[in-house]
Amino acid sequence: MEKTIAVTKTLDVCGLICPYPDMDTLATLKKMSKGEILEVILDYPLSLERIPRNLTKQGHKLLNVERIDGPKHRMFIEAHGLK
Amino acid sequence: MSLIVLSGLGVGLVFGYALQRGRFCMNSATRDSVLLRDYTLLKAVGVAILVEMIGFALLDVTGITAAAPKPFFWGANLVGSFTFGIGMVLAGACASGLTYRTGEGMVSAMVAAIGLAIGAFYTAGGFMNPLAKSLQESTVLKTADGANLTLANILGVPYYLLALGIAIVAIVAWVLLAKPLSLENAAARTKAAKAQKGVSKGWGWMTTGIVIGLIAIVAFPLSAAAGRNYPLGITDGWIGLVKGIFLGEAFGWGTMLIIGIILGALVAALVNREFKFRAPSTGMLVQVFIGGLLMGFGAVCSGGCNIGHALSGLPLLSIGSIVATLSIVGGAWLTSHLIFNVFRRSPAA
Repeated sequence: MEKTIAVTKTLDVCGLICPYPDMDTLATLKKMSKGEILEVILDYPLSLERIPRNLTKQGHKLLNVERIDGPKHRMFIEAHGLK
Repeated sequence: MSLIVLSGLGVGLVFGYALQRGRFCMNSATRDSVLLRDYTLLKAVGVAILVEMIGFALLDVTGITAAAPKPFFWGANLVGSFTFGIGMVLAGACASGLTYRTGEGMVSAMVAAIGLAIGAFYTAGGFMNPLAKSLQESTVLKTADGANLTLANILGVPYYLLALGIAIVAIVAWVLLAKPLSLENAAARTKAAKAQKGVSKGWGWMTTGIVIGLIAIVAFPLSAAAGRNYPLGITDGWIGLVKGIFLGEAFGWGTMLIIGIILGALVAALVNREFKFRAPSTGMLVQVFIGGLLMGFGAVCSGGCNIGHALSGLPLLSIGSIVATLSIVGGAWLTSHLIFNVFRRSPAA
Protein backbone atom coordinates (compact mmCIF):
# COMPACT_ATOMS: atom_id res chain seq x y z
CA MET A 1 0.00 0.00 0.00
CA GLU A 2 2.91 2.35 0.79
CA LYS A 3 4.04 2.29 -2.80
CA THR A 4 0.71 3.23 -4.28
CA ILE A 5 -0.09 6.05 -1.85
CA ALA A 6 2.16 9.12 -2.01
CA VAL A 7 2.44 10.20 1.60
CA THR A 8 2.88 13.93 2.26
CA LYS A 9 3.45 13.69 5.98
CA THR A 10 3.78 10.99 8.68
CA LEU A 11 2.51 11.34 12.22
CA ASP A 12 3.50 8.82 14.91
CA VAL A 13 1.11 8.80 17.88
CA CYS A 14 2.12 5.44 19.38
CA GLY A 15 1.92 5.16 23.17
CA LEU A 16 -0.01 8.41 23.55
CA ILE A 17 -2.90 8.56 25.99
CA CYS A 18 -6.53 9.14 25.11
CA PRO A 19 -7.49 11.31 23.17
CA TYR A 20 -4.14 12.72 21.94
CA PRO A 21 -3.97 10.36 18.92
CA ASP A 22 -7.29 11.76 17.68
CA MET A 23 -6.60 15.38 18.55
CA ASP A 24 -3.12 15.35 16.99
CA THR A 25 -4.38 13.66 13.83
CA LEU A 26 -7.26 16.11 13.35
CA ALA A 27 -5.05 19.13 14.15
CA THR A 28 -2.42 18.00 11.63
CA LEU A 29 -5.04 17.41 8.93
CA LYS A 30 -6.40 20.89 9.50
CA LYS A 31 -3.02 22.39 8.56
CA MET A 32 -2.66 20.37 5.35
CA SER A 33 -3.75 21.35 1.85
CA LYS A 34 -6.47 19.64 -0.16
CA GLY A 35 -5.40 16.29 -1.55
CA GLU A 36 -2.31 15.92 0.63
CA ILE A 37 -1.96 12.53 2.32
CA LEU A 38 -1.33 12.05 6.02
CA GLU A 39 0.03 8.73 7.26
CA VAL A 40 -0.75 8.07 10.94
CA ILE A 41 1.01 5.32 12.89
CA LEU A 42 -1.03 4.40 15.98
CA ASP A 43 -1.37 1.58 18.51
CA TYR A 44 -4.41 2.60 20.54
CA PRO A 45 -7.49 0.48 19.66
CA LEU A 46 -10.07 3.10 20.66
CA SER A 47 -8.55 5.76 18.39
CA LEU A 48 -8.24 3.26 15.56
CA GLU A 49 -12.05 3.19 15.48
CA ARG A 50 -12.73 6.75 16.58
CA ILE A 51 -10.49 8.61 14.10
CA PRO A 52 -12.25 7.15 11.00
CA ARG A 53 -15.60 7.98 12.63
CA ASN A 54 -14.73 11.63 13.10
CA LEU A 55 -12.53 12.65 10.22
CA THR A 56 -15.32 12.41 7.65
CA LYS A 57 -17.26 15.04 9.62
CA GLN A 58 -14.51 17.49 8.67
CA GLY A 59 -14.50 16.37 5.06
CA HIS A 60 -11.28 14.33 5.18
CA LYS A 61 -11.17 10.97 3.46
CA LEU A 62 -9.97 7.69 4.94
CA LEU A 63 -8.05 5.92 2.18
CA ASN A 64 -6.78 2.82 3.90
CA VAL A 65 -5.86 1.23 7.22
CA GLU A 66 -3.49 -1.68 7.62
CA ARG A 67 -2.07 -3.61 10.53
CA ILE A 68 1.67 -3.34 11.00
CA ASP A 69 2.00 -5.63 14.03
CA GLY A 70 -0.26 -6.32 17.03
CA PRO A 71 -2.21 -3.18 17.93
CA LYS A 72 0.09 -1.07 15.75
CA HIS A 73 -1.65 0.15 12.60
CA ARG A 74 -0.95 2.51 9.72
CA MET A 75 -3.72 4.81 8.51
CA PHE A 76 -3.78 6.88 5.31
CA ILE A 77 -5.98 9.96 5.22
CA GLU A 78 -6.55 12.45 2.41
CA ALA A 79 -6.86 16.00 3.76
CA HIS A 80 -9.86 18.08 2.80
CA GLY A 81 -7.80 21.25 2.78
CA LEU A 82 -9.34 23.62 5.27
CA LYS A 83 -6.24 25.80 5.07
CA MET B 1 -10.65 -17.75 50.07
CA SER B 2 -14.36 -18.54 49.91
CA LEU B 3 -16.01 -19.44 46.65
CA ILE B 4 -18.25 -16.38 46.81
CA VAL B 5 -15.26 -13.99 47.08
CA LEU B 6 -13.70 -15.88 44.19
CA SER B 7 -16.82 -15.13 42.12
CA GLY B 8 -15.52 -11.54 41.99
CA LEU B 9 -12.65 -12.84 39.89
CA GLY B 10 -15.09 -14.55 37.51
CA VAL B 11 -17.25 -11.44 37.11
CA GLY B 12 -14.07 -9.38 36.67
CA LEU B 13 -12.77 -11.65 33.89
CA VAL B 14 -15.97 -11.22 31.87
CA PHE B 15 -16.18 -7.50 32.70
CA GLY B 16 -12.55 -6.92 31.68
CA TYR B 17 -13.11 -8.80 28.43
CA ALA B 18 -16.20 -6.67 27.67
CA LEU B 19 -14.49 -3.39 28.62
CA GLN B 20 -11.61 -4.17 26.27
CA ARG B 21 -13.77 -5.26 23.34
CA GLY B 22 -16.17 -2.34 23.80
CA ARG B 23 -13.34 0.16 24.44
CA PHE B 24 -15.69 1.19 27.24
CA CYS B 25 -14.32 4.27 28.95
CA MET B 26 -16.48 6.88 30.62
CA ASN B 27 -13.75 9.51 30.39
CA SER B 28 -13.85 9.12 26.61
CA ALA B 29 -17.65 8.99 26.69
CA THR B 30 -18.02 12.36 28.43
CA ARG B 31 -15.08 14.09 26.82
CA ASP B 32 -15.73 12.94 23.24
CA SER B 33 -19.26 14.30 23.39
CA VAL B 34 -17.99 17.89 23.67
CA LEU B 35 -14.57 17.66 22.08
CA LEU B 36 -15.38 15.58 19.01
CA ARG B 37 -19.19 15.58 19.05
CA ASP B 38 -18.82 11.80 19.07
CA TYR B 39 -21.56 10.12 21.11
CA THR B 40 -20.70 6.46 20.43
CA LEU B 41 -19.37 5.59 23.90
CA LEU B 42 -21.95 7.78 25.62
CA LYS B 43 -24.64 5.68 23.93
CA ALA B 44 -22.98 2.50 25.24
CA VAL B 45 -23.04 3.97 28.78
CA GLY B 46 -26.72 4.93 28.35
CA VAL B 47 -27.70 1.43 27.19
CA ALA B 48 -25.82 -0.17 30.10
CA ILE B 49 -27.57 2.07 32.65
CA LEU B 50 -31.02 1.35 31.18
CA VAL B 51 -30.39 -2.42 31.18
CA GLU B 52 -29.22 -2.17 34.80
CA MET B 53 -32.30 -0.17 35.84
CA ILE B 54 -34.56 -2.96 34.61
CA GLY B 55 -32.36 -5.67 36.14
CA PHE B 56 -31.90 -3.97 39.52
CA ALA B 57 -35.65 -3.29 39.70
CA LEU B 58 -36.35 -7.00 39.12
CA LEU B 59 -33.71 -8.03 41.69
CA ASP B 60 -35.34 -5.63 44.15
CA VAL B 61 -38.96 -6.67 43.63
CA THR B 62 -38.08 -10.38 43.84
CA GLY B 63 -36.12 -9.73 47.05
CA ILE B 64 -32.87 -11.15 45.64
CA THR B 65 -31.03 -7.94 46.53
CA ALA B 66 -31.95 -4.93 48.61
CA ALA B 67 -31.07 -1.76 46.71
CA ALA B 68 -28.32 -0.02 48.67
CA PRO B 69 -27.91 3.46 47.21
CA LYS B 70 -24.86 5.55 48.10
CA PRO B 71 -25.26 8.42 50.60
CA PHE B 72 -25.84 12.01 49.55
CA PHE B 73 -23.28 14.41 51.06
CA TRP B 74 -23.50 17.31 48.66
CA GLY B 75 -20.22 19.00 49.66
CA ALA B 76 -18.17 15.82 49.35
CA ASN B 77 -20.03 14.79 46.17
CA LEU B 78 -19.41 18.16 44.51
CA VAL B 79 -15.76 18.62 45.56
CA GLY B 80 -14.75 14.95 45.30
CA SER B 81 -16.37 14.16 41.98
CA PHE B 82 -15.31 17.45 40.37
CA THR B 83 -11.71 16.63 41.39
CA PHE B 84 -12.24 13.10 40.01
CA GLY B 85 -13.41 14.60 36.69
CA ILE B 86 -10.29 16.78 36.44
CA GLY B 87 -8.13 13.78 37.33
CA MET B 88 -9.60 11.43 34.75
CA VAL B 89 -8.96 13.85 31.87
CA LEU B 90 -5.34 14.29 33.04
CA ALA B 91 -5.01 10.50 33.38
CA GLY B 92 -6.58 9.92 29.96
CA ALA B 93 -8.90 7.26 31.41
CA CYS B 94 -11.69 6.73 33.92
CA ALA B 95 -11.29 4.26 36.81
CA SER B 96 -12.50 1.28 34.76
CA GLY B 97 -10.63 2.51 31.66
CA LEU B 98 -7.25 2.59 33.40
CA THR B 99 -7.93 -0.84 34.94
CA TYR B 100 -8.71 -2.59 31.65
CA ARG B 101 -5.96 -0.78 29.72
CA THR B 102 -3.45 -2.01 32.31
CA GLY B 103 -4.28 -5.46 30.94
CA GLU B 104 -3.76 -4.17 27.38
CA GLY B 105 -0.14 -3.29 28.22
CA MET B 106 -0.55 0.49 28.31
CA VAL B 107 2.12 1.81 30.69
CA SER B 108 0.25 5.12 31.03
CA ALA B 109 -2.75 3.22 32.44
CA MET B 110 -0.56 1.31 34.91
CA VAL B 111 1.01 4.55 36.17
CA ALA B 112 -2.42 6.19 36.48
CA ALA B 113 -3.68 3.11 38.36
CA ILE B 114 -0.80 3.35 40.85
CA GLY B 115 -1.70 7.04 41.35
CA LEU B 116 -5.36 6.14 41.87
CA ALA B 117 -4.49 3.39 44.36
CA ILE B 118 -2.19 5.69 46.38
CA GLY B 119 -4.62 8.63 46.33
CA ALA B 120 -7.54 6.42 47.34
CA PHE B 121 -5.57 4.61 50.06
CA TYR B 122 -4.44 7.83 51.78
CA THR B 123 -7.93 9.33 51.54
CA ALA B 124 -9.67 6.21 52.87
CA GLY B 125 -7.43 5.86 55.89
CA GLY B 126 -4.39 8.14 55.71
CA PHE B 127 -3.51 11.81 55.98
CA MET B 128 -6.17 12.96 53.47
CA ASN B 129 -8.92 11.22 55.40
CA PRO B 130 -9.85 14.09 57.81
CA LEU B 131 -10.55 16.43 54.86
CA ALA B 132 -12.80 13.93 53.06
CA LYS B 133 -14.51 12.86 56.28
CA SER B 134 -15.29 16.40 57.45
CA LEU B 135 -16.68 17.28 54.01
CA GLN B 136 -18.89 14.19 54.11
CA GLU B 137 -20.11 14.62 57.68
CA SER B 138 -20.82 18.36 57.45
CA THR B 139 -22.94 18.11 54.29
CA VAL B 140 -24.74 14.76 54.60
CA LEU B 141 -28.51 14.78 54.01
CA LYS B 142 -30.81 11.84 54.76
CA THR B 143 -34.52 11.09 54.85
CA ALA B 144 -36.44 11.58 58.13
CA ASP B 145 -35.92 7.90 59.02
CA GLY B 146 -32.22 7.99 58.24
CA ALA B 147 -32.16 6.35 54.79
CA ASN B 148 -29.92 7.54 51.95
CA LEU B 149 -31.80 9.91 49.64
CA THR B 150 -33.02 8.52 46.33
CA LEU B 151 -35.47 9.77 43.70
CA ALA B 152 -37.78 6.97 44.88
CA ASN B 153 -37.93 7.86 48.56
CA ILE B 154 -38.19 11.60 47.83
CA LEU B 155 -41.21 10.94 45.60
CA GLY B 156 -42.54 8.26 47.95
CA VAL B 157 -42.69 5.62 45.19
CA PRO B 158 -41.29 2.06 45.48
CA TYR B 159 -37.82 1.86 43.92
CA TYR B 160 -38.61 -0.89 41.43
CA LEU B 161 -41.69 0.93 40.07
CA LEU B 162 -39.85 4.20 39.52
CA ALA B 163 -36.76 2.50 38.03
CA LEU B 164 -38.87 0.44 35.61
CA GLY B 165 -40.95 3.51 34.72
CA ILE B 166 -37.92 5.70 33.99
CA ALA B 167 -36.26 2.93 31.97
CA ILE B 168 -39.34 2.31 29.83
CA VAL B 169 -39.96 6.04 29.18
CA ALA B 170 -36.28 6.54 28.31
CA ILE B 171 -36.19 3.57 25.93
CA VAL B 172 -39.39 4.66 24.14
CA ALA B 173 -38.12 8.26 23.87
CA TRP B 174 -34.76 7.04 22.56
CA VAL B 175 -36.36 4.85 19.88
CA LEU B 176 -38.71 7.65 18.79
CA LEU B 177 -36.07 10.37 18.74
CA ALA B 178 -33.24 8.36 17.20
CA LYS B 179 -32.42 9.66 13.77
CA PRO B 180 -32.81 7.03 11.06
CA LEU B 181 -29.57 6.35 9.24
CA SER B 182 -29.47 8.62 6.17
CA LEU B 183 -28.45 7.18 2.81
CA GLU B 184 -25.47 9.48 2.68
CA ASN B 185 -24.27 8.34 6.11
CA ALA B 186 -24.82 4.70 5.25
CA ALA B 187 -22.75 5.07 2.08
CA ALA B 188 -19.96 6.79 4.01
CA ARG B 189 -20.00 3.98 6.57
CA THR B 190 -19.79 1.24 3.97
CA LYS B 191 -16.86 3.03 2.36
CA ALA B 192 -15.08 3.47 5.69
CA ALA B 193 -15.72 -0.18 6.57
CA LYS B 194 -14.17 -1.23 3.26
CA ALA B 195 -11.03 0.79 3.96
CA GLN B 196 -10.72 -0.86 7.37
CA LYS B 197 -10.95 -4.48 6.23
CA GLY B 198 -8.69 -6.85 8.18
CA VAL B 199 -8.05 -4.26 10.87
CA SER B 200 -8.67 -4.58 14.63
CA LYS B 201 -12.31 -4.01 15.42
CA GLY B 202 -14.18 -3.99 18.72
CA TRP B 203 -17.86 -4.33 19.60
CA GLY B 204 -20.51 -1.78 18.63
CA TRP B 205 -22.05 0.45 21.29
CA MET B 206 -25.31 -1.50 21.56
CA THR B 207 -23.59 -4.85 22.21
CA THR B 208 -21.18 -3.24 24.65
CA GLY B 209 -23.97 -1.51 26.59
CA ILE B 210 -26.15 -4.61 26.85
CA VAL B 211 -23.28 -6.92 27.87
CA ILE B 212 -21.96 -4.53 30.53
CA GLY B 213 -25.49 -3.95 31.87
CA LEU B 214 -26.02 -7.73 32.19
CA ILE B 215 -22.64 -8.20 33.91
CA ALA B 216 -23.65 -5.58 36.52
CA ILE B 217 -26.95 -7.39 37.16
CA VAL B 218 -25.13 -10.70 37.77
CA ALA B 219 -22.47 -8.92 39.85
CA PHE B 220 -24.90 -7.35 42.34
CA PRO B 221 -26.22 -10.49 44.15
CA LEU B 222 -22.79 -12.20 44.06
CA SER B 223 -21.10 -9.15 45.57
CA ALA B 224 -23.89 -8.85 48.16
CA ALA B 225 -23.45 -12.53 49.12
CA ALA B 226 -19.78 -11.77 49.75
CA GLY B 227 -20.83 -9.08 52.24
CA ARG B 228 -20.37 -6.15 49.85
CA ASN B 229 -23.94 -5.04 49.17
CA TYR B 230 -23.32 -3.06 46.00
CA PRO B 231 -23.00 -3.67 42.24
CA LEU B 232 -19.80 -2.90 40.32
CA GLY B 233 -17.16 -0.50 41.68
CA ILE B 234 -13.46 0.01 41.01
CA THR B 235 -11.89 2.19 43.69
CA ASP B 236 -12.57 -0.09 46.69
CA GLY B 237 -10.84 -2.88 44.78
CA TRP B 238 -7.68 -0.84 44.27
CA ILE B 239 -7.64 0.15 47.96
CA GLY B 240 -8.02 -3.55 48.84
CA LEU B 241 -5.12 -4.40 46.54
CA VAL B 242 -2.84 -1.91 48.34
CA LYS B 243 -3.97 -3.25 51.74
CA GLY B 244 -3.47 -6.84 50.61
CA ILE B 245 0.02 -6.28 49.24
CA PHE B 246 1.40 -3.93 51.90
CA LEU B 247 -0.63 -4.75 55.02
CA GLY B 248 -1.28 -8.43 54.40
CA GLU B 249 -5.09 -8.13 54.51
CA ALA B 250 -7.17 -10.73 52.67
CA PHE B 251 -8.51 -9.68 49.26
CA GLY B 252 -12.25 -8.98 49.21
CA TRP B 253 -14.77 -9.31 46.36
CA GLY B 254 -13.96 -5.84 44.99
CA THR B 255 -10.23 -6.59 44.77
CA MET B 256 -10.86 -9.94 43.05
CA LEU B 257 -13.05 -7.98 40.61
CA ILE B 258 -10.26 -5.63 39.51
CA ILE B 259 -7.72 -8.48 39.29
CA GLY B 260 -10.29 -10.21 37.06
CA ILE B 261 -10.74 -7.07 34.93
CA ILE B 262 -7.00 -6.81 34.28
CA LEU B 263 -6.75 -10.52 33.38
CA GLY B 264 -9.94 -10.46 31.28
CA ALA B 265 -8.69 -7.46 29.30
CA LEU B 266 -5.31 -9.17 28.90
CA VAL B 267 -7.01 -12.24 27.41
CA ALA B 268 -9.18 -10.08 25.11
CA ALA B 269 -6.15 -8.11 23.95
CA LEU B 270 -4.01 -11.23 23.38
CA VAL B 271 -6.75 -13.08 21.47
CA ASN B 272 -7.35 -10.06 19.24
CA ARG B 273 -3.66 -9.23 18.75
CA GLU B 274 -4.00 -5.93 20.60
CA PHE B 275 -1.59 -6.54 23.49
CA LYS B 276 1.66 -4.59 23.60
CA PHE B 277 3.68 -2.76 26.24
CA ARG B 278 3.62 0.87 25.12
CA ALA B 279 4.50 4.11 26.88
CA PRO B 280 4.28 7.84 26.22
CA SER B 281 6.92 10.44 27.23
CA THR B 282 8.02 10.89 30.86
CA GLY B 283 6.19 14.21 30.99
CA MET B 284 2.94 12.53 30.08
CA LEU B 285 3.54 9.77 32.64
CA VAL B 286 3.90 12.46 35.33
CA GLN B 287 0.62 13.99 34.12
CA VAL B 288 -1.28 10.68 34.29
CA PHE B 289 0.16 9.93 37.74
CA ILE B 290 -1.09 13.28 39.08
CA GLY B 291 -4.42 12.58 37.37
CA GLY B 292 -4.57 9.20 39.12
CA LEU B 293 -3.87 10.77 42.54
CA LEU B 294 -6.70 13.29 42.02
CA MET B 295 -9.03 10.47 40.94
CA GLY B 296 -8.18 8.44 44.03
CA PHE B 297 -8.83 11.34 46.39
CA GLY B 298 -11.98 12.38 44.52
CA ALA B 299 -13.49 8.90 44.38
CA VAL B 300 -13.07 8.21 48.10
CA CYS B 301 -14.19 11.73 49.11
CA SER B 302 -17.35 11.45 46.99
CA GLY B 303 -17.99 7.83 47.95
CA GLY B 304 -17.39 6.37 44.48
CA CYS B 305 -15.74 6.60 41.08
CA ASN B 306 -17.44 6.74 37.69
CA ILE B 307 -18.43 3.07 37.98
CA GLY B 308 -19.64 3.29 41.59
CA HIS B 309 -21.61 6.46 40.96
CA ALA B 310 -22.58 6.63 37.28
CA LEU B 311 -22.77 2.97 36.26
CA SER B 312 -24.04 1.56 39.58
CA GLY B 313 -25.49 4.54 41.48
CA LEU B 314 -27.58 6.14 38.70
CA PRO B 315 -29.68 3.00 38.10
CA LEU B 316 -30.22 2.81 41.89
CA LEU B 317 -31.56 6.41 41.62
CA SER B 318 -29.29 7.68 44.42
CA ILE B 319 -29.33 11.48 44.74
CA GLY B 320 -25.66 11.38 45.80
CA SER B 321 -24.77 9.46 42.63
CA ILE B 322 -26.77 11.84 40.41
CA VAL B 323 -24.97 14.88 41.88
CA ALA B 324 -21.61 13.06 41.74
CA THR B 325 -22.10 12.07 38.08
CA LEU B 326 -22.99 15.64 37.06
CA SER B 327 -19.97 16.86 39.00
CA ILE B 328 -17.61 14.35 37.31
CA VAL B 329 -18.92 15.49 33.93
CA GLY B 330 -18.44 19.16 34.91
CA GLY B 331 -14.84 18.61 36.02
CA ALA B 332 -14.08 16.57 32.89
CA TRP B 333 -15.60 19.10 30.48
CA LEU B 334 -13.81 22.07 32.06
CA THR B 335 -10.45 20.26 32.01
CA SER B 336 -10.89 18.99 28.42
CA HIS B 337 -11.79 22.48 27.28
CA LEU B 338 -8.73 23.99 28.97
CA ILE B 339 -6.30 21.34 27.72
CA PHE B 340 -7.52 20.87 24.18
CA ASN B 341 -9.19 24.15 23.22
CA VAL B 342 -7.53 26.87 25.30
CA PHE B 343 -3.95 25.61 25.76
CA ARG B 344 -3.87 23.52 22.64
CA ARG B 345 -0.70 21.46 22.36
CA SER B 346 0.64 21.23 18.85
CA PRO B 347 1.33 17.75 17.49
CA ALA B 348 4.91 16.53 17.45
CA ALA B 349 5.13 15.76 13.74
